[in-house]
Amino acid sequence: MAEDKKTDGDPAAWMNAWTTSTTDFLRRIMGAGGGEDASVKHPASQAQKMLLSSTKLLHLMLAKMSDPASIEAMLQGMESLPEISTNMFQQSIDSYAEMQKRWTEQVSRIGKHTEAYKFEGIDENVFKTWKETYEKEIRKFFNVPALGLTRFYQERINRLVDETNQFQVAISEFLYLFSVPFEKTAKVMQEKTEEMMEQGDVPSDVKEYYNMYIKVLEGHYMTLLQSPEYIRVMSDTLNALVKYKRAKEEVLNDMMGALPVPTHKEMDELYKDFHILKKRVRTLAKRMDQWEEKFSPEESGA
Amino acid sequence: MSQPIAVDLILKNLAKGTEKAEKRARKASEVLLGPLETDIATTPYEVVFQEDRVKLKHYVPEKITHKVPLLIVYALINRETMLDLQPGRSTVQGFLDHGVEVYMVDWGYPTRKDRYVSIDDHVNYYMDTVVDVIRKRHGLPKINLMGICMGGAFSVMYSALHPEKIKNLVTTVTPTNFDTDKGLLHIWMKGVDMDGVADTFGNVAGDVMNLGFLLLNPARLMIDKYVGFLENVDDRSFVENFVRMEKWIFDSPDVPGETFRQFISDCYHKNLLIQSKMELEGKRVDLKKITMPLLNMYGKYDHLVPPEAAEVLPSKVGSKDVEDICLPTGHIGIYVSSKIQQQFVPKISAWLKEREAFEKSPKSPKKARTPKKQDTASAA
Repeated sequence: MAEDKKTDGDPAAWMNAWTTSTTDFLRRIMGAGGGEDASVKHPASQAQKMLLSSTKLLHLMLAKMSDPASIEAMLQGMESLPEISTNMFQQSIDSYAEMQKRWTEQVSRIGKHTEAYKFEGIDENVFKTWKETYEKEIRKFFNVPALGLTRFYQERINRLVDETNQFQVAISEFLYLFSVPFEKTAKVMQEKTEEMMEQGDVPSDVKEYYNMYIKVLEGHYMTLLQSPEYIRVMSDTLNALVKYKRAKEEVLNDMMGALPVPTHKEMDELYKDFHILKKRVRTLAKRMDQWEEKFSPEESGA
Repeated sequence: MSQPIAVDLILKNLAKGTEKAEKRARKASEVLLGPLETDIATTPYEVVFQEDRVKLKHYVPEKITHKVPLLIVYALINRETMLDLQPGRSTVQGFLDHGVEVYMVDWGYPTRKDRYVSIDDHVNYYMDTVVDVIRKRHGLPKINLMGICMGGAFSVMYSALHPEKIKNLVTTVTPTNFDTDKGLLHIWMKGVDMDGVADTFGNVAGDVMNLGFLLLNPARLMIDKYVGFLENVDDRSFVENFVRMEKWIFDSPDVPGETFRQFISDCYHKNLLIQSKMELEGKRVDLKKITMPLLNMYGKYDHLVPPEAAEVLPSKVGSKDVEDICLPTGHIGIYVSSKIQQQFVPKISAWLKEREAFEKSPKSPKKARTPKKQDTASAA
């Protein structure tokens, strides 16, 4: 009862009492278990000793933590946590705000006249914004150096994730670019139809209308496919695909290493050796044929 | 003031159209579900030689009127079956009808194992081997060589490196000058880094090639073509020809990575071939060494090998006997258009016949007649 009064209202004292009673309890168990021959090395007694030492360590830690100086240091550290979180969120919010601004500008352009047969300055800002945000905010996490025994594997996986993201953006941009002529053609056909209706010259045959449509669409594609924008996007997509494939192969090679299956890399090395060998054999065979022709023409059949 | 829209006329036309469509659909199902003759490459041949994936096909005419056989070398892209697409429009059959004995290289289907096969392997090994096989079979020191598209570029390289084995050279829709911005391929290839593609993928996949060619004109090749098919789907003959063409156009083998890498780099990027600066394993391809007669044919509306890419060759070779013909057709129209075939095959056949001089064996050669100098001409 007197002890209970001592621990009342003091968390440190509670922890102290709890660890002390746990330690005593374990000592009694160990004493009961190893009482007959305490010197015998039994796996169970080893485990009990480890448990006892862990409990002692915990007791020490808690005793230290209940020290006022330690408590103050901990609280100071916790105070800085909101500041760190705020900084991180601020950066993300700034980037999001930038993206939202560009999206708003994009939305405001809807309904404006889209010039036919012109592909300069088409609405690719969303891809540019995403690429910039990705580059600034997200990509750096994949470049954090990996540590430890598995560092190379981790680096390759990070690279794969990074390249996958970049490839997806590149292919999205490429596909978007391919959809632009449809948009422009629809606009042109709308204007043409309005003109024809005003003149009372509406084609009665759907085929005529289709022929007009396909001709305009073809024209738009011909202009697009020769434009610097398309060349750039095509080149970027191809480069992104190559990097993605390379990164994927590296990770697959790592995984396949655990299986009794040869990888592309291993087979390519074999193919290369095989190719070089074949070339050497052919050269030698040709030389031999030439010598045979030269020195024994009857046998060679020449 | 806008005119009123004749709604009743539109509805009437719609009703008529629906009736027509219904009849067409019924006929179409009979055609599509019935027997269709869509085999390609039906002209009989014999495979007389094979090494690795490369085969040499031999076609024999009923009556041989040309003493020197013709070796046709197709491109690595798509298949040589285009020259024998359908009865009545077969370039191979056309040559046979003119008494020309034809050999044709079948490049086969490269696998990953072939990724290191280079242009030098194709030209100085495979082509040289088949040329030697033909020479030996016929006891001839020289044979006639005809190249198509990239196969034509290979034929040019071969003729420059082995002029002693080639009697006459015919190049058709052959790109030799790549310093032009006409033609989408010439524009696109300048932006492509082939090193990355070849190192990473090994071979350039046939499906990628197919997609690339479709993207040259997506409106016509991915939409309008099939609209045209649907409009004629009740016509058995049309459907058969269409399916044959589809079979050929999507039958794209992979292209060995090393070959494609060098072709893009040395030709599309650096334009070395026409400058006689291209090298195959250290051996320079000097166009001045092409001293045999040259017939150069190409299409005026060819979007893959525009005239600017093909017409420069005759002025760069060492031969004095050159003829340049521009036909009013596209890249494959030159082989599959029945109208053009009436000019194309007879012209080549006659040109070869004119320059024929029989030489039995390398040991006892007859002196060849020197042919008359031909002016280059563009025929309409």
